[in-house]
Amino acid sequence: MTAFYVLAILLIASAVFTVTQKSPVYSVVGLLTNFLVLAALYFTLNAEFLGIIQIVVYSGAILMLFVFVIALLSSGIGPFSEGPNRLPRVAIPAVLATLVAFGFLAFGVLHTPLAPTTPHAASLGPVGTANVFGSVADFGVALFTVQLLPFEVTAFILMVAVIGVVLLAGDASPQKTRGSHEKSALKSAGREPIVKAGR
Amino acid sequence: MTVELTNYVMLSAVMFFIGVVGVIVRRNPLIVLMAIELMFNAANLALVAFSRAWVNNAGHIFVFLVVTVAAAEAAIGLAIVVAVFRRAKNVDLDEVAGMHG
Amino acid sequence: MNALLLALWLLPLAGALIMWALGPQLKRGAGPLGAAIVFASLACAAFLFPNASNSTGVSETLITWIPGYTFGLRLDALSLLWTLIITGVGGLIHVYSIGYMWSDRAMARFFAYLNFFVFAMLTLVLSDNVVGLLVGWGLVGLASYFLIGFWFYKPTAVAAARKAFVINVVGDVGIMFAIFALFAFTGSISYVDIFAKAGTLPVGVLIAICMGLFIGAAAKSAQVPLHTWLPDAMEGPTPVSALIHAATMVTAGVYLIARFAPLYNLSPTAQEIVALIGGITMLTGAVLGVAQWDIKRILAYSTMSQIGYMIMGVGVGAYQAGVLHFFTHAFFKAQLFLGAGIIIHALNDEQDVRKMGGLYRRMPFAFWAMLLGTLAIIGFPFFSGSYSKDAVIYGTLEHGHGLLYLAGVLTAGITAFYMFRMIFVVFFGPDRSEVPDDALAIPPAPHAAHAEDHDASHAPAWLMNVPVAILMVPTVAAGWLSIGGNASPWYQYFGTMFGTSENVAAPPLPIPELASQFIVYAIVTVGVIIAYLRYGTPEALRDSVARLRAEGLRMPVALRRAFWFDDVIALAIVRPAQALGSFIGRVIDPHVIDAGVRDVAWFAGALGFFARALQNGLVRTYALTLAIGAACFIAYFAVMGAPR
Repeated sequence: MTAFYVLAILLIASAVFTVTQKSPVYSVVGLLTNFLVLAALYFTLNAEFLGIIQIVVYSGAILMLFVFVIALLSSGIGPFSEGPNRLPRVAIPAVLATLVAFGFLAFGVLHTPLAPTTPHAASLGPVGTANVFGSVADFGVALFTVQLLPFEVTAFILMVAVIGVVLLAGDASPQKTRGSHEKSALKSAGREPIVKAGR
Repeated sequence: MTVELTNYVMLSAVMFFIGVVGVIVRRNPLIVLMAIELMFNAANLALVAFSRAWVNNAGHIFVFLVVTVAAAEAAIGLAIVVAVFRRAKNVDLDEVAGMHG
Repeated sequence: MNALLLALWLLPLAGALIMWALGPQLKRGAGPLGAAIVFASLACAAFLFPNASNSTGVSETLITWIPGYTFGLRLDALSLLWTLIITGVGGLIHVYSIGYMWSDRAMARFFAYLNFFVFAMLTLVLSDNVVGLLVGWGLVGLASYFLIGFWFYKPTAVAAARKAFVINVVGDVGIMFAIFALFAFTGSISYVDIFAKAGTLPVGVLIAICMGLFIGAAAKSAQVPLHTWLPDAMEGPTPVSALIHAATMVTAGVYLIARFAPLYNLSPTAQEIVALIGGITMLTGAVLGVAQWDIKRILAYSTMSQIGYMIMGVGVGAYQAGVLHFFTHAFFKAQLFLGAGIIIHALNDEQDVRKMGGLYRRMPFAFWAMLLGTLAIIGFPFFSGSYSKDAVIYGTLEHGHGLLYLAGVLTAGITAFYMFRMIFVVFFGPDRSEVPDDALAIPPAPHAAHAEDHDASHAPAWLMNVPVAILMVPTVAAGWLSIGGNASPWYQYFGTMFGTSENVAAPPLPIPELASQFIVYAIVTVGVIIAYLRYGTPEALRDSVARLRAEGLRMPVALRRAFWFDDVIALAIVRPAQALGSFIGRVIDPHVIDAGVRDVAWFAGALGFFARALQNGLVRTYALTLAIGAACFIAYFAVMGAPR
């Protein structure tokens, strides 16, 4: 019980930290904390496989992607600068709207019975035991038999994502669109175009 | 579960709305994308909590799907950010107002 | 298809249209054309005389629109009489106008208007239904507006025309409501149907209808209190005053009441009111006539007074007497106006009698014309006016109205006084045309220069003199048709057309008719003598300048302001109407009506302004909009429950 509350406070604090920092690197650190706390929460909910997935995929891959992009964008240009704020004080309506939504949501959640009616076959057991609810075997069986379609769909989505990234962020136009000073700056920073690995 | 399902759902809601505020208020596109990740994770938390309450691992599968989608979306989003802001003077969402009507 | 009847009615319209269309080409040819057309209509009427001179007459149905709504023409004894006067006297006045308007460049327009007036008046009297009557009524008012304001560059003329028209509209409304009531209760607009069903009308409705019709008659015939337009209508050319405001248009009210005799006969109350108003007008007109200095205004007030006699006559139920007075009045009043026109024309548009004087020697023809007319109007024995006036006055006594009888007798005396005042001041004494205005206490008046509309030629004199000469005959003799009482040609002509009034009380004093006539003659003589003593004695004529000046300065304010009728109407009606109009123009038009239109445009703009803010291209705006939308959805589903 206390574990839940501690984790909950850490979760919210890291989320707020992520959203409110000026520097993206600090935000990344906050996000990392958030993911780790979330993984811990998953473990308390018997979802051990998902907890591992959370750590490996989210904090291991996606966050790294963020870090690399931060590096990519900030190199050669200087620290992140921002133009004039064209929508000042937008926090007020934003917070207001979210508070309203949260209020209604809380009202809805608290007044709706959330308990299920049909029990399920798989059995609960402590985390770490084989073949219990939430274990790797349980997840794998479901993924490759009953829920095969989502599995195939995820593969498809990932392929589309890779193609999209390559198209979008790859070098569409070579050197002639870059100024000489930029070129030398990039060269000095050791930066290579993403696609042309052979150069 | 000793902790009520309602608690997890409210926690998920709080995290979600922190993400929403982050998306609206921040001007740095990277931080906006991070806030979007927060929103995804909030949804995931709710799914896992329900899945545990109902002892139904379909929720886990769905979380798997959400993680995949979030990864793909983050990748593409970052690719767009790179493409747009590669040569920009500053990294500010307010500067990309080309959809001005 | 009674071709003569249709020709009689439509020829003047054709004339008007031709002259309107071809005015610049016709120039002075319009005059003879107009006169010829009117005489042609007169010829048609003369040809129809044998068939039409009874109570059914000849009729012609023109259009049947819906059952109960048929338009047609009807030439019976009453309308034939009016038609003969309109086309006969009208034709003479057309010839006179050729001479009078000779130097005016807009002659074609004038004759077009005159022909149009004749057409309109014929429509009024020839209709066999109340709606046609109203159409003619309105058209006659329009023609009067055209003709009073003929010299449209004179602001006084324009104002007078407008005043006449507006007051006539008041009358039109009265007749309209009467028509509504008649149609509602009888289901028809034709006279025959209405009179057949007249007995079935409820008493109150009958009185209301009669009063509605009388309001129209009072406006058109210048009865108190709707009389204020008639003196101002003298701004029009003198032939107009002669034709419209003496002989024909102003008598339309008399025609109306005579025509609706079956209705009035059933309603003693209405008849009382009509006779009373007629009597009041008769007396008021005469009293005001005493105080006038403009020769045409003297004649205008005398017209008002004489029409008061006519209205009083038909009001008490003495229809033949009232109509006889219309008949004789048409001749001698036209005579008087045309004679005055000769004088005015010869004196270069001078109309103030104080600046005349001694014209007996300079213009003998005009003198005899005016004298004959004056003798007729005062009721000098054997002249036409005496027969008709005595008939009317005795009629009031016969039908039991003692007070009106006394008023009639008194007015005869006053009439004699002011008419002979005019004769003495204009024709006798020294020539005052060279006397400066302030020596006669004449206030300076603005003269509108209209030299550019006139050229310098002069008409041959016979054009104006011959009609006047011709009119001298009926001026003297027209009344002779009624010699012999009920056996006379006049009374036989009408037969039992008018029916008998229910409102017959015994005469208060059993005075035989001859005695009443002598009473009137006596009063008239007294009036003439007083006028002579005041204006006609040799000393009075010698001192005329000083005396006229003194009279002008000492004129009582009630007479000068014409009993304040104009002022009261201006204060009670004109000013509030103008204030309302200016209020609407100043406040409601720009702030309410325009503002409504402007606000619609502003609202569209404001909507666009706000809509534009939503599309400012900023990602954060769109994100915020999404969040707000999502919040709405969450709120909805939280309250209503999830979708099934």
